[in-house]
Parts: sequence; structure tokens; C-alpha cells
Amino acid sequence: MKIPSAMQHWIVPLVVVAAWEGFGRAGLMPHYLPAPTLIVAALFEVAADGELARAAAISLYRVALGFVLGTGAGTLIGLGAGIVPGIRHFFDPLVAFLYAVPKIAFLPIFLLLFGLGHESKIALIAFSCFFPVFIASRHAVLAVDKHLVWTARNMGAPRATTFFRVIMPATAPQLFAGARIGLAHAFILLFAAELMGARGGLGPLISEGEDAGRFDLMFAGIVTFALLGFLGDRILMAVRRRVLRGQLIGTLEQALR
Amino acid sequence: MMARVLRQVERWYSIPLLLLLWQAAVSSGLVESRLLPGLGRVATALIHDTANGILPYHSGVTLSRAALGFALAALFGVPFAAAMARSTLMRNLFEPIFFFGYPVPKIALFPVFTYVFGIGSPSKIAFAYLECLYPIVVTAYLGFRAIPVRLVWSAENMGAPRATIVARVIVPAAMPGILSGLRIALPIAIIVIVLTEMIGDSRGLGYYIAVSGTRFEFANVYAAILVIGACGFVLDRAMLRLRRAVVHWERDVEPTR
Repeated sequence: MKIPSAMQHWIVPLVVVAAWEGFGRAGLMPHYLPAPTLIVAALFEVAADGELARAAAISLYRVALGFVLGTGAGTLIGLGAGIVPGIRHFFDPLVAFLYAVPKIAFLPIFLLLFGLGHESKIALIAFSCFFPVFIASRHAVLAVDKHLVWTARNMGAPRATTFFRVIMPATAPQLFAGARIGLAHAFILLFAAELMGARGGLGPLISEGEDAGRFDLMFAGIVTFALLGFLGDRILMAVRRRVLRGQLIGTLEQALR
Repeated sequence: MMARVLRQVERWYSIPLLLLLWQAAVSSGLVESRLLPGLGRVATALIHDTANGILPYHSGVTLSRAALGFALAALFGVPFAAAMARSTLMRNLFEPIFFFGYPVPKIALFPVFTYVFGIGSPSKIAFAYLECLYPIVVTAYLGFRAIPVRLVWSAENMGAPRATIVARVIVPAAMPGILSGLRIALPIAIIVIVLTEMIGDSRGLGYYIAVSGTRFEFANVYAAILVIGACGFVLDRAMLRLRRAVVHWERDVEPTR
């Protein structure tokens, strides 16, 4: 018997969930791994009284604002560093050193600087998004085919036109690659910062569920958090496809769609 | 000679400049010295805790955990990626898990890991393993998939046995992809270990930072950040070296800074 490959895709997830459910029902799973149906029930429970939506909105606000600020700054300064050697020489050593440091290590400092509210989380998320985006845009500008720039300049294009019509489109794919890594960092930072001292948000929801021994609630928070991260990535990729629609023609990515 | 010195100065001046500004800001009393301890106090903290063995001890804990998680992910991930690239069944079964799971923020699962593996080293190593596995498998898989078929055909045509083809054609051709994945995963291992140590542990640099932060000993926080930055920097350089030695035929995969 040959199973169609589209169905083979579902085998592993379905088997895992079914086994989890079956063993859970039979009481063979440890108490901290409630059966998937119980998690879904808990999900509905917190969703019904609006608690989940409130927590998710707070988390989303922190991660979205931090991501936008960090990515914006990373793009601007990164493009600037690619174009102007002076900016490049100023930022390169700093980034080379700080890139390898887990940004969460700055949490105590950010907490003291920005307080216990939203600001410290947003600033820390922005700080950690900055680095991958900066590196991607800096490298992208330096990798732009010089002939393209020369041709544009030769035909009398002013600097601004060269920037918006040549450099921006040529670097856009790498910018999105950097932003995607930045988004992944943003969610990691969000979770860690929320778990280590925050009021409101999905992190506290998860740890409250854990502390109360309500592991179904803990998992409901975990599932929501994972879903937010996944959807954030999907949205970013959709924006990318829209922005790069001309550039993807004839690539493997478009052929596979 | 003079020009070379000037170029080095131009490339690295920003770090000493910022350190100078830092010291000036502290000495002039513009910023609270509790928040931004003077360089002397950071240096004292660094030397003091290095001399009495506290920092080396915690660094050793963090690095060995990160190395173990990373090594396990590499040892399992690379052959697994090869199997996924060679077998349609493996691909259909596991590709969705790796490609859809990739953008999911796995950090949300860490609380579960602490229940399954306990709060000490095992849960952190297992979590670093999971976080490293994704980039290693996905990047190596794409590397194995990108091998031109005619390379394999040529080897087969010249009568090379299967084992020779794997060892002399497939593995070397996939090497750039494998090493890219390892390079992405290595800092992730360190980040994840420090982060989870900050969430809850009694050993490791993450713990050291968290404790120093709550005691308002910010000189120690900065000292630990310096140590992590140095470790990350050295490891990344080592990875680049390894790459240049192993994939010596592929020049200038990345502009050196």
C-alpha cells in the first residue's frame, strides 16, 4: 500500500498527538503533561472570560513595538553603515562584540533603566532585533553589484534616486532575511523577560498556571505563545512575498509555489 | 606602515572611544554610578571574580552545557538531515515538522522541559539541543538537497562504490551547508543556556548575572557580559577557521571583517 505523500506529512504529528491523548486518558502520562483535549478545553476556558485575549494583547504589544523599533533602527543604521564607511567603522567593532552576547544578559540593566513596565521589555526586544537586521543590511549594501550603482549614476540619477530605486530593491531580500531572524530573537526575549518579572502577558499566564498546578492552563499559554510566534513569521513572509513579488519571478521559491 | 596603523585605528576606534565616554560620564557624575559603574570597578570585579575562580567556574558550567547541547544536535542532526535528503519517506514524514516548527518560538516549551528533565543541567542541555537541532537540520538538509546530481552520476559512471560516493562526493559537497548550520547554531546554544540559567539555576553565567542584578552589583553584570562576549567572539572565529580549513575550495563565502 502506498500512502500519498500529502498524507505522509500528517503521520508524525497525528501519531504523537494520538499517542499523547491515548496515554493521557489511560493515566500513563505524568501529571504535568495533560492530554491534548484537556489543553484545548483549558484554551476555551481562558479564552471565554477574555483573560487569554488580554494577556496575548499585552505580549503582542511588547513584541510588535520592540520588533518595529529594533528592525527600523537596524535597517537605517545598517544601510547607513553599508553606504558610509565612517558609520561602518564606528558600528562594526561594537556589533562584532555585542552580537555574541545573549541580549537577555542586559535585562537587569534595562530593568533599572526603564522600570518594570512595558518599556524595559520593549527596549530589550528592540535592542536584540537591532543586531541581526543591522548585519544583514550592512552586508547587503556592500554586496550590491557596483555596476548597477555606476549605471544609475552614469545616467544622471541623483543620489536619492539611486538609493530608493537601486540600493533599496537590491538589498530588500537580505533585509527580510535579517528581519526574520530578528523576529525569532524578539519572541525568545519576550518570553524570557516576561517569565523573569513582568505583570500581564502570556509569560505570567504560563507561570501562574504552573504555580497553581493547572498544567492545562500552562499549556494553553504555551500553545498561544507558539501560535503567535508562528503567525508573526507567516505575516512577515507574506509581506516579503508582496514586497519582493517582482524579484521572486523565475526563482526556485516561486516555481515551488 | 603608517597607513596600516591608521586603518586599524579607523576600524577599532569606536570601542575605546565609547569606553572613554562611559568613564567620563561616570566621573562627571552625569549618570548614577550605581547604574553605570566606572570602568575601574568593572575591571576590579572582573579581575577579582576571575582570581577567586567564581567567573571561571560559572563560565565552565555554561560553556560545557552549551557545548554538550550543540554537539548532540550536530551528531544527531547532520545524519538525520542526510537521511531526509536521500529518502522520500523520511522527507515526507519529517519535513513539515522542521519547516513549520522552525519559526515556532520553542522557548515557550522550556517550562515543560524543566518538568521532564529536572531543573538542573539536563533540562538546559536538552533545550539547547532542541534549539540547535532546527537550524542544523534545516541548513544541512538544504545543503544535501542542493548537491548537483551529475556529481553523483559522474562518480557512479567511473565505477565508484556507494561508500566512496558518500564519503568523497556527497559529504564534501554538503559540507558548506552543514557548516553554515553549525555556525548559526553555536551562538544559539550559548544564548539559550545563559537565558535558561537566568530563569532558574544555581550555577552558570546566567545565574551569576541574575544574582548580581538583583543585588544591584552592576559591575559584576558587566563583567559577566564581557566574559560571554569574549567566549562568543572566540568561538565564532574558531568556527570560521574550521570552515576555511574544511571547505578550503570555497573562497570568500563571507567577507571577513
